[in-house]
Amino acid sequence: MNSTSDSHALSIALVGSGGAGVVTAGNLLLEAARADGSFGLMRRSAGPQIRGGESAALLHFAAAPVECAGDYYQLVVAFDWLHAQRFVEEIPLTAASCVLHDPAGGDVPEPIARTGARLVPIEMHAPATEIGCGRANMIALGLVSAITGIKTETLTEMVNRSLSAKGESMVMGARACLERGAALGRSLDIDLPIPVDPDGADGRWMISGNEACGLGALKGGVRFVAGYPITPASEMLEWLAPRLAGTGGCLIQAEDELASVNMILGASYGGVPAMTVTSGPGLALMTEGIGLAVASETPIVVIDVMRGGPSTGIPTKSEQTDLNIALYGMHGEAPHVVVAPVSIADCAFTAQWAVNLAESLQTAVIVLSDQLLAQSRTVTHRPPDIDFITRRVTAQRRDEAYRRYALSGDEVSAMAIPGSAGLSYTADGLEHDERGTPSTGAEDHLRQLDKRSSKLTGFDYGDHWATVEGDGEVAVVTWGSCTAAVREAIRRAGAAGLPVRLIALRLLAPLRTKQLSQALAGVNRVLVVEQTFSRQFYHYLRSRFDLPGRTECLARPGPLPLSPGEIADCLLAGTAR
Amino acid sequence: MNPIPEQPRPKDYKSDVKPVWCPGCGDFGVLNAITKALASLRLPPEQVALISGIGCSSRVPAYTSLYGFHGIHGRALAVGAGLKAARPDLNVLVAGGDGDGFSIGGNHFLHACRRNMNMTYIVMDNEVYGMTKGQASPTTAPDWTQSKLTPSGTLSRAFQPAAIALAAGATFIARAFSGKPNTLAQLIVLAMQHPGFAFIQVLSPCPTFRPEQKEWKNIVRPFPADELPTSDPALAALHCQRDDGMSTGVIYVEARPVWSRSEMEKTTIEDIEQEFRS
Amino acid sequence: MTKPQVIATEAEFLAHALALEQESVDRYEELADAMETHNNREVCDLFRKMADFGRKHAAEVERLAAGTALPRLEPWEFKWADDEGPETGEYADIDYMMTPVQALRFALANEKRSRDFYALVAAYSPDRTVRKLASEFAEEEAEHVTLLERWIARHGADTAMQDDLDPPNIVD
Repeated sequence: MNSTSDSHALSIALVGSGGAGVVTAGNLLLEAARADGSFGLMRRSAGPQIRGGESAALLHFAAAPVECAGDYYQLVVAFDWLHAQRFVEEIPLTAASCVLHDPAGGDVPEPIARTGARLVPIEMHAPATEIGCGRANMIALGLVSAITGIKTETLTEMVNRSLSAKGESMVMGARACLERGAALGRSLDIDLPIPVDPDGADGRWMISGNEACGLGALKGGVRFVAGYPITPASEMLEWLAPRLAGTGGCLIQAEDELASVNMILGASYGGVPAMTVTSGPGLALMTEGIGLAVASETPIVVIDVMRGGPSTGIPTKSEQTDLNIALYGMHGEAPHVVVAPVSIADCAFTAQWAVNLAESLQTAVIVLSDQLLAQSRTVTHRPPDIDFITRRVTAQRRDEAYRRYALSGDEVSAMAIPGSAGLSYTADGLEHDERGTPSTGAEDHLRQLDKRSSKLTGFDYGDHWATVEGDGEVAVVTWGSCTAAVREAIRRAGAAGLPVRLIALRLLAPLRTKQLSQALAGVNRVLVVEQTFSRQFYHYLRSRFDLPGRTECLARPGPLPLSPGEIADCLLAGTAR
Repeated sequence: MNPIPEQPRPKDYKSDVKPVWCPGCGDFGVLNAITKALASLRLPPEQVALISGIGCSSRVPAYTSLYGFHGIHGRALAVGAGLKAARPDLNVLVAGGDGDGFSIGGNHFLHACRRNMNMTYIVMDNEVYGMTKGQASPTTAPDWTQSKLTPSGTLSRAFQPAAIALAAGATFIARAFSGKPNTLAQLIVLAMQHPGFAFIQVLSPCPTFRPEQKEWKNIVRPFPADELPTSDPALAALHCQRDDGMSTGVIYVEARPVWSRSEMEKTTIEDIEQEFRS
Repeated sequence: MTKPQVIATEAEFLAHALALEQESVDRYEELADAMETHNNREVCDLFRKMADFGRKHAAEVERLAAGTALPRLEPWEFKWADDEGPETGEYADIDYMMTPVQALRFALANEKRSRDFYALVAAYSPDRTVRKLASEFAEEEAEHVTLLERWIARHGADTAMQDDLDPPNIVD
């Protein structure tokens, strides 16, 4: 992948509470920018209220795929400042920033004023009210279009499409607001042109991580999903429900996560690739069921969209702190697969791969997405199509008695699918012999433990185990949503004369130590970057592998994502916390 | 295995695995009733899946020639629901004990009743935890003090399986006695033929931890045939509440739409991908 | 005693006789397996022997039924006195520590139920052939009863079941 975050990316924050329509405006802006040839990313920051709380749409545009925030925002458009103190730290500003704010929305909060950013009071609510069916967010969109050069016609078309269901007067009002906002914007001497690369703009996708995971799962063949609503994973379930039904599958809203994981075990036992989707608290409830998938060798995929923990934690914000439970959460020795997408678009590939691994290896695969990947939307290239060769090995009728857990040599034993005559067996979470009959024998236990472990370690995961980029004697080892910020930091370090390698693990377990060793050949300094407090990833790597040379760790918990700047500083200064 | 003969015998549905159940255990009677019912229905064994959780009675799948899933404690109904949703062509039987179904799996019991999927749930109720050595279960009478864990009794009212199934929305509710496998076989046939979620509570004595239950054979008696089964939930509730829990027979049968997959317009991955383009 | 349901045809009678023996075999084998699993060899052997007898009798019935189309009866359609087959016994009478004499008494109760079943058919069937066959079968079962009573007598007085001094195991 040659995607890079452009340091000249344009970052815009739309801020406003309660019914201001910040997210709608952000989505329209992202879509219009795509039409004009820009790549983009929109993250959301929201408060705990279901309605009426503070909200921010954080947008980034570049001429190449952009997956992370810049170090600061060039433009903030604020309808009001309700509870803005809760997220101002997510919107770093400098003296070069420009803040357009409606004076009717209250005084500019002190932490924003303190940054030295240029403050431009400009009425948004009043003109919208004057227009009638108008909204302040449409005034703001007009303003942004004038400032960034996004074509007003493109926005108008988007508005027509998205508001047509609400009636002619709404559309007319919105269009009038757009024009008024654009006129107001032209009267300001602010020029922040949106970076564009118009080549092939038509083929570009706009997709969120939750949607991409859902798409990957469908492409991988998942036709049964059971799930229990949970932030920030519910959107994936909602996206999947009609599409599973439309493709001959089925989604059940279960009574709890214990039911979710056991329902997918039932479906997969029936021969239908199955998945559940949850977040940390749900994953904790599911761990016994995941252990059953491992012991009974029933393929399942569990997508965990990580959020701040422990306990209910910070449901709306991102963190990578479920790594330990994903790796070690099961009781007993339950070898399984843990994978993590390295970008929003990669959610599609990784989810599809996860299904393939679960089916091929007849085990549980946990996919660690996170809120940042899941609830952000990106405008990017279409994810590549992958055809995996391996599939679930199903049993065919033979003369000898069927042995479900046969020690056949390659350790993946053929699975009989209910309905196949002469092959019935009982899948069991109790330790068992080759037939599946419960056994407390030492030899059966040892052999089956070895079977379940070696089928995973002996599998050829190909090049998908990690994204490896660049060379140099310094390497950053990271995973998940940190990858984008690390990639941008490495670009900056390179510009400053320090070549740095990127190794972003997609396959977290089983850890590919041989491949990791090869990827780190010639490296004398390793920086591990992760979004945790207790350095889970760093400790995991060091427990399994001797990292070469000097090792450092840049670890910080959520809710703030790691920024390219702090990672680049760490690389260039040669020290980490 | 030979193809299923035109007139299958119950033993065609048994495996060669020997039960670990204590001799005299009521669960033998339930196993026999299940195999008799399947022989009566002439179902090929591979078209039936028997799903269970953990406990003495949950060992039952391996003793049959059916497709079995011996899962974890309390989750059998969830496994069964997933299987039935994914494979509507299969006949799904779920079986287990009172602790598995009403305590650790209580939530799934409620939701399986209201979901009304087309499956049959057989609970072998012996009012005790057998595999963990005789602790009180949800259906244990409050004054039972034989467990070291609850020397003063359970201090809780006994769970009323039939009444709760009724309130939760089960559309077929019956109670049976394991000592009458032929009668139970008939109930299982009716349950499996019932479109929707069918629940059978089987009084199944535990000779080891509840030897006094050997007397059940002299206590059980049928519900008054002129009043039950009914499709009137109020009448069914009256019988459930008034009864001492030892009357047997079909209590309640209701015709209600069976859970089915939601129908959506057919689509393809290509169509879905189109959504992400401009 | 309540009046039994009437068995009116030879085919129906033979279907009952065959099911009676087949169920007897199935049940004794199941009980023998359970005794084997629970290390009660003596009673296991005794139940296996009873199963063997049942198999022989079932074969005799099958010989008699050769050429006759037997009706297919569901388990709950048989006209037993008590819903269950006469030779299946009560689970409540079974214990893993049971003595051979207790096992013989269990078998004796089965044989008596069979004898009584056939005797009733012989008394109430409207069909002469059925009455004749049933009384022959009743006679044979009565011989089994006598035989078992002799075996019990030979074993001497009933001994009480021994207690298991060990506590039950914790399994799952």
